[in-house]
Amino acid sequence: MGLDIQTWVNVAAYIGGGIAMGFGAVGAAIGEGYTAAQASSAISRNGNAAGDVIKSMLVGQAIAESASIFALVVAMILLFTNFPATTPVMIPAVFGAGLSMGIGAIGAGIGAGFPAGSACIGMVRQPAVSNKLTTNMLIGSAVCQTPSIFALVVSFILLFTDFSARPISPTWAAVLGAGFASGLSAIGSGIGGGIVAKQSCDGIARQPAATTTITNIMLLGQAITQTPAILGLLVSFILIFKSYAASSALAPAMALLASGLCIGFGAIGPGIGEGVASSGGVAWVARNEKHTGEIVRLMLVGMAVAESTAIYSLVIALVLVFVV
Amino acid sequence: MNELGKVWQLIVPFGDYKMTFNLDAILMTWIVIAILLLFGFLAARKQKLMPGPIQILGELIVSQIYQLTEDALDKKTAPKYAPLICALFMFLVCCNWIGMFPHMHEPTKDLNTPLSLGLLGFVIAHYSGIRAKGIKAYLMEYCEPIFFMAPLNIIGELAKVVSISFRLFGNIMGGSIIILVVSYLTFSVLLPPFLNAFFVIFIGAIQAFVFTMLTLVYISVQVK
Repeated sequence: MGLDIQTWVNVAAYIGGGIAMGFGAVGAAIGEGYTAAQASSAISRNGNAAGDVIKSMLVGQAIAESASIFALVVAMILLFTNFPATTPVMIPAVFGAGLSMGIGAIGAGIGAGFPAGSACIGMVRQPAVSNKLTTNMLIGSAVCQTPSIFALVVSFILLFTDFSARPISPTWAAVLGAGFASGLSAIGSGIGGGIVAKQSCDGIARQPAATTTITNIMLLGQAITQTPAILGLLVSFILIFKSYAASSALAPAMALLASGLCIGFGAIGPGIGEGVASSGGVAWVARNEKHTGEIVRLMLVGMAVAESTAIYSLVIALVLVFVV
Repeated sequence: MNELGKVWQLIVPFGDYKMTFNLDAILMTWIVIAILLLFGFLAARKQKLMPGPIQILGELIVSQIYQLTEDALDKKTAPKYAPLICALFMFLVCCNWIGMFPHMHEPTKDLNTPLSLGLLGFVIAHYSGIRAKGIKAYLMEYCEPIFFMAPLNIIGELAKVVSISFRLFGNIMGGSIIILVVSYLTFSVLLPPFLNAFFVIFIGAIQAFVFTMLTLVYISVQVK
């Protein structure tokens, strides 16, 4: 049994594929379950609207599942593509690709379930605005998917970049770190974006006259909630595309891996926290539209403060890459 | 699937440096500009009290975005920034939707386009902030809550440019990769039109709107 590079690349691809689909199944299932629970509650309040509720539940669940489907696509590619074993760096690269997509799909899956459930409840509360609620729910859940799309981009870059000209020693840690950075950092922003969208569906059911304002503020809040995931994406791009001097020492390699872990874990909390902050903004604008300006400004300041911890992680991650 | 990640580049030696032009992005941007100029010409050519279809579309976009700008800023400053916001939105929507057609690539798929637009918004926001508040009040804002937080505040401001441009780039790039890969896996049967409808039309329009809204909010935070 010869354990050449090709064998190890295949081994890593299979393990990566398993991780991609295994972790990728976690989030969407939780999100969809939440949606179904809320839909049951909605139907028990007003059985006459059952048709609308079931339709909206199914549409919402279909969108919540898209993160999982991205993971499925990556897993299929990992299983059925024959990766050229030009360099040993391909081993961590294909593994990191699976890791990035698998972990990255958790947050978006959970998050996208929240608005769908809340839209079902809203529909029985205000049957007249079901169309507006469905539109808002679709926009909110679609924007929730953004962090998982970032993870997908990183995993494709890892799979299809040619690493053969790079030195093996620090690059293996860099590609692994890139997978961790984009995967982990997508968790918080995915969940946070879902919380914002949930409150906006609640808000539209409460105050249908303010629909446009609420949708706009939801988009703004979700966009800023994604910042930690984008910082993770930035660090993984730096890790993948920076050119390193070859060195056999372990410490610089570990610094690169640690940099990915640092921004990855550091982005989870700010993502959720910013989502909570901005969900407050959306919810209270729905109650008092007259003071939208003040509420939004406070929301933005609060989110900026909540984001500062992500920026601390970014600073440390960049120090680990460029200074250490 | 080999075209994934391939960029057509023209490299011109310039002294010791190499100037690199991404031909796809440049060509597609020119096409978008031509489409927008044509649209503007047709919408404003024969203005009538009973407008034709293209004039209605133009009026709809312009009035909606002016309204949006007025909500974020106020009645006095809004007319100053609304043309910029309007142009930004229409350019981005056109850029994102052009990928729908075969052999066309979204200019926003190239990081250079979103990054330059993000820098444009950043510079305009900070310039108008200095104009509105004066340089002293502008600089004092970085020293909140305490003066030694200034470096982190500056990094936070720079992170805004990164986040606004990478958000657009990541979404459009991700959408186009998914369309390409799924079309390849299913031999272009059945799925691609739905994927195009979702990722190009829906996500493209939403992300163009988000980019525009964020630029507007960054300006309004600086001006007020």
